[in-house]
Amino acid sequence: MKLDVNALGTFYQMAREGAGLAAGRLTHMTGVETQVGVTKLNFMRGREIRRDFEDSTEKVGIRVNLTGAIEGYSMIVFDRENALRIVETLLAESESGAGADIDTFDEMTQSAATEVGHIMNSGFIDGWADVLEAAIDVSTPEFVEGQSAELFFGDIDEAPDEDDLALLFQSQIETVGTEVGFSHYLFPKRESMSRLLGHLRTSGGIEYDKLDGFDRMAERGAEEVAKTATTLTGIDTSVEIRRLNFVSLEAIPEQLADETLVGVAFEFDGMPSGYLLFLFDEESAHEIVDAMVPMEIDEDEDGFGEMGTSAIKELGNIMASGFLDGWANVLDTTIDHSTPEFIHDMGAAAVDPVIIQLGENQDFAFVFDTLVMADGREFDCEVYAIPDEDDLERALNNLDVDRIEDTPTTAEFQEVDTT
Amino acid sequence: MKTYGTEPGAPTPVQVGISELAVSEGDDTLKSYGLGSCLAIALYDPDSDIGGLAHIMLPDGDAAENSDRKPGKYADTAIRALLRRMVEQGANYTTVEAKIAGGSDMFKFESFGDGVGQRNIAAAKAELEKLGVPLEAEDVGGEYGRTVEFTPGSGTLVVKTADESAENGVTEL
Repeated sequence: MKLDVNALGTFYQMAREGAGLAAGRLTHMTGVETQVGVTKLNFMRGREIRRDFEDSTEKVGIRVNLTGAIEGYSMIVFDRENALRIVETLLAESESGAGADIDTFDEMTQSAATEVGHIMNSGFIDGWADVLEAAIDVSTPEFVEGQSAELFFGDIDEAPDEDDLALLFQSQIETVGTEVGFSHYLFPKRESMSRLLGHLRTSGGIEYDKLDGFDRMAERGAEEVAKTATTLTGIDTSVEIRRLNFVSLEAIPEQLADETLVGVAFEFDGMPSGYLLFLFDEESAHEIVDAMVPMEIDEDEDGFGEMGTSAIKELGNIMASGFLDGWANVLDTTIDHSTPEFIHDMGAAAVDPVIIQLGENQDFAFVFDTLVMADGREFDCEVYAIPDEDDLERALNNLDVDRIEDTPTTAEFQEVDTT
Repeated sequence: MKTYGTEPGAPTPVQVGISELAVSEGDDTLKSYGLGSCLAIALYDPDSDIGGLAHIMLPDGDAAENSDRKPGKYADTAIRALLRRMVEQGANYTTVEAKIAGGSDMFKFESFGDGVGQRNIAAAKAELEKLGVPLEAEDVGGEYGRTVEFTPGSGTLVVKTADESAENGVTEL
């Protein structure tokens, strides 16, 4: 099974179309305004998907079996509380349930929740069918309630095993004014996805199993960053989130909070070349400066002073070396980086020059998205590594999979839409 | 970010994301967050109160193959698409005026050459001149980000920087 950027681009478009249709139908049903947030494709291991799922909240899922252009399972998952709120809204609209205050699922509310989930599943599936210009058939929906991943996809053969690297489609649908979101998972059959990829591919592409190298790069890079941050600040840190996303360039600044951030940016050169950004919220940046600069500093108009700025640049510089060395080790190459550029500005504004530069030659990017957090939440650091697409494909193709330690993964494809 | 279902009379401005463009009328404001090297192009017709905002990322759409599908991504195609949509809604081509903001150069990376922000500003100005649309005001360049909010009715383009208390914190064009 091989994939290329064109095939991933089509999947990305499918995820967007699907999320749009699902959001529109939720609005239509409940009268609540909804919006689609960031959509991305993630590469994740089975165990990480399960960890995300088992966050100790009760959940409700509505799943359907798919046949046709895509074969497998599609599942909408709500937090149980959210599902109840949606059902309340629905029943309040009809005369019979006016003023309903529901806290358990009886026959009527379960059937209402199933109906909502089914209509949203169908929204996603219709979106994919539109993009693929092919028919996808949907079974009758099944209602699942509980807390463990096992209940929801334990009996699905298509779900990824612990070490399997899965492709997940993730989108956010938010309701405006009320806190109701949901996740969407797709577990396609491997043969079905392989057929689709072959059909959508327009270039030589990369062997799917080499994507294990991606995951290894992400892991090494993240570990190095956490280690460096701990050494330099004396504060224990660990890798909280580590994801490899495939997104449209425009979506990268959109996912940053609309607040002033402090950051250090680099360009790197080698195989691959690209851009690397470390971003901190202002409070975290002050924590770092306090930890690294023992004396009181003169704060200039920027709030960090010359000493503070150079401390943050220094930390960024050493983290960048560690991160890129981690990559270079996996890829068996060398990657050089520029001197650090300090930013204290709106987060999106710090990222858009990078996407503009890459946008000359590509529409999508792989983003290595990492969150490093200090124990006790003294600070956190978001890392964005955005390699040049052609370089990355070449680097991965040169990668000798046997060099990668641990068991090589037998990759599976599936889809998750989180909200 | 696209919103499904709208509340009538909701005061929230319509968000114009990167590579997007939108047309509105009167007091219905349009907003673009966190422009770095991207450029906000606002066009409005003072006679009909119709205006539009584009949030472009690259200069030259005529040279790109996907500019038909994404006219809002490029300076030249975005300006033409905005004008066309405004005229369709009743604006008069000959009285349309323009304001631009953004196009800063945050980093001095080798790969960036002369500056990605400057290229966007130059492309927008060239296209406006070609179409005979007067550029009434601009707040461009520098090394900092901007958030803009545009009101078509008054033609006001409010530009904010990260530090609103600073000298150049809030500018009204």
